[in-house]
Amino acid sequence: MIKLQNIQKYFYKGEPREVHALNDISLTIKKGEFLALTGSSGCGKTTLLNAIGVLDSIDSGEIYLGNKEISQLTKDEKTDIRLNDIGFVFQAYNLVPVLNVRENISFIMKLQGTAQEIIDARVIEVANILEIQDKLDSLPSLLSGGQQQRVAVARAVASRPKIILADEPTANLDSKNSKALMDMMRELNRVEDVTIVFASHDEFVVNSVDRVIKLDDGKLL
Amino acid sequence: MNGSHNSMLKNSLEVYTGAMAIYQKDYRDEGGYDYLIYDNAKIFTILEKENGVKEFTSRVETYGIASTDDESSAMMLTGIDFKKESKISKLKTALKSGIYDSSGACLYMGESLAKKLSLKLQDEVSFVGTAIDYSFVADIFKLCGTFKTGMYEFDSSSAFLNRAYFDELFYAQNTSSYIAVSVNELKQSDLIAKNISKKLPQDTKVYTWQELMKAMVELMKVDSIFGYISMGLFFLVIFFVIMIYGFINVSSRIKEFGTLKSIGISDRDIDTLLFYEIIILTLSAVIIAMPSSAYLAYYFELHPFVIEGISEIYKDYGIISDEIPTSFDLFTIAWNTLVIVVLNILSIIYPIYYVRRFTPIEAMRHV
Repeated sequence: MIKLQNIQKYFYKGEPREVHALNDISLTIKKGEFLALTGSSGCGKTTLLNAIGVLDSIDSGEIYLGNKEISQLTKDEKTDIRLNDIGFVFQAYNLVPVLNVRENISFIMKLQGTAQEIIDARVIEVANILEIQDKLDSLPSLLSGGQQQRVAVARAVASRPKIILADEPTANLDSKNSKALMDMMRELNRVEDVTIVFASHDEFVVNSVDRVIKLDDGKLL
Repeated sequence: MNGSHNSMLKNSLEVYTGAMAIYQKDYRDEGGYDYLIYDNAKIFTILEKENGVKEFTSRVETYGIASTDDESSAMMLTGIDFKKESKISKLKTALKSGIYDSSGACLYMGESLAKKLSLKLQDEVSFVGTAIDYSFVADIFKLCGTFKTGMYEFDSSSAFLNRAYFDELFYAQNTSSYIAVSVNELKQSDLIAKNISKKLPQDTKVYTWQELMKAMVELMKVDSIFGYISMGLFFLVIFFVIMIYGFINVSSRIKEFGTLKSIGISDRDIDTLLFYEIIILTLSAVIIAMPSSAYLAYYFELHPFVIEGISEIYKDYGIISDEIPTSFDLFTIAWNTLVIVVLNILSIIYPIYYVRRFTPIEAMRHV
């Protein structure tokens, strides 16, 4: 379970160009939920997603992952949370260009110190679900946008995180690839019981999830 | 630098000076026949017994006027033992024309002096001077050879005469202006000089090469200071060049580091990654560059650079060759390599600090 209480986030605080990016956000996300944060561009959905993922700091409020308050952790503790509990899918895929698909997917598990035979089995398992099993030895640059995004999802899910945060995952995909990706993520949500939170203004994504949280100007609607 | 200085020194000392010389006290300050060594045999016995002494020879110097039909010039005439001299100095190898084994009234003259007097081989030259007993000496010599050591003053004013003939002409038997000494190890020269001093007669004094070649020693000190400053600047430039390239390399990958940070790689892991990268690059560079540079140093030790005319410019400092001496010195190669390794490692510190400043989000948005 993720619980956010009275989150406040400013950009350029104290300067004339100050932006109140998150304004008193409080919400609870239950385990296994498949939901989307949506709203117009600049409404704060990516900022909120980054705050949940401890990628960015907040100015006040509390974020709980399970029973643990994570917003005030040290840099190293936040890194551990990101490594072990959270998977990320980015709009621009953000794969490591010099590693092939297999290495990209197994990267986080290796960092976690997982045994090689478990890594190998898990890579095959998620590659089959995401239909990229024949691309395992290819470099990301040789894959289409849809395939790269599936590799990014595979990397995020392979280490069995508690939650996957996906920021505009369909932004660079056509409708066919968007549907395929959402179907696969729904399948992962069902099979792995992983909580998946999207930040997207894509209608298709919004219509595919179980719960929609709307933001406007940094506030929940 | 030390290697070059050692080579320069070795060359200069071997040409004529020797590692040390024994003089009657005050000879170097006052000069003249009143301060000659009058008992060579006693000193020879001491030198023969001294460990570390390689060779020694007695030289007697006198001054006079050398004249041909058209020209005259002041000349320093030295009586030498040609056989011993060939072991202690490079006069034999400095021969430019004629023969080395002079005998009788055969004169062996500096090339510049011969030119000044318009002398050719086998030409006659008259000499007027003073014998050891202050009597008048005049003779006619035949030019049997010319030499060029590269020391301009020396080559334009010196001539040598067979010692036996010289002794007879100048009444110089068993006397010396000084006794030149060469040693097996130049580094040991101070110690050997100290040992010899204890055994020598009270009225004699040993001068080491540092005292005999003050100008060169000073030049080497100044050269060393400027050399170390230049080297420091050179290393500083190298450091900044490596660091700038390292920084460009790292800053072009900030986005990649942002991704790595966001998926759970710690700053410490990124530091380690960058550190290993620089170690691999450094070791690769060292593996390639160290043998190549060692080979170059060795090659240039065998085949030194030659800059025509450099000895003419620095002749006052005792530089007697146009060759730039290079010394193949493993210690120098090792410590230079070590400095480069250290500089490489230090060069990654700022790029590491730079990467650490970014949060994962800032890094991923970096352009």
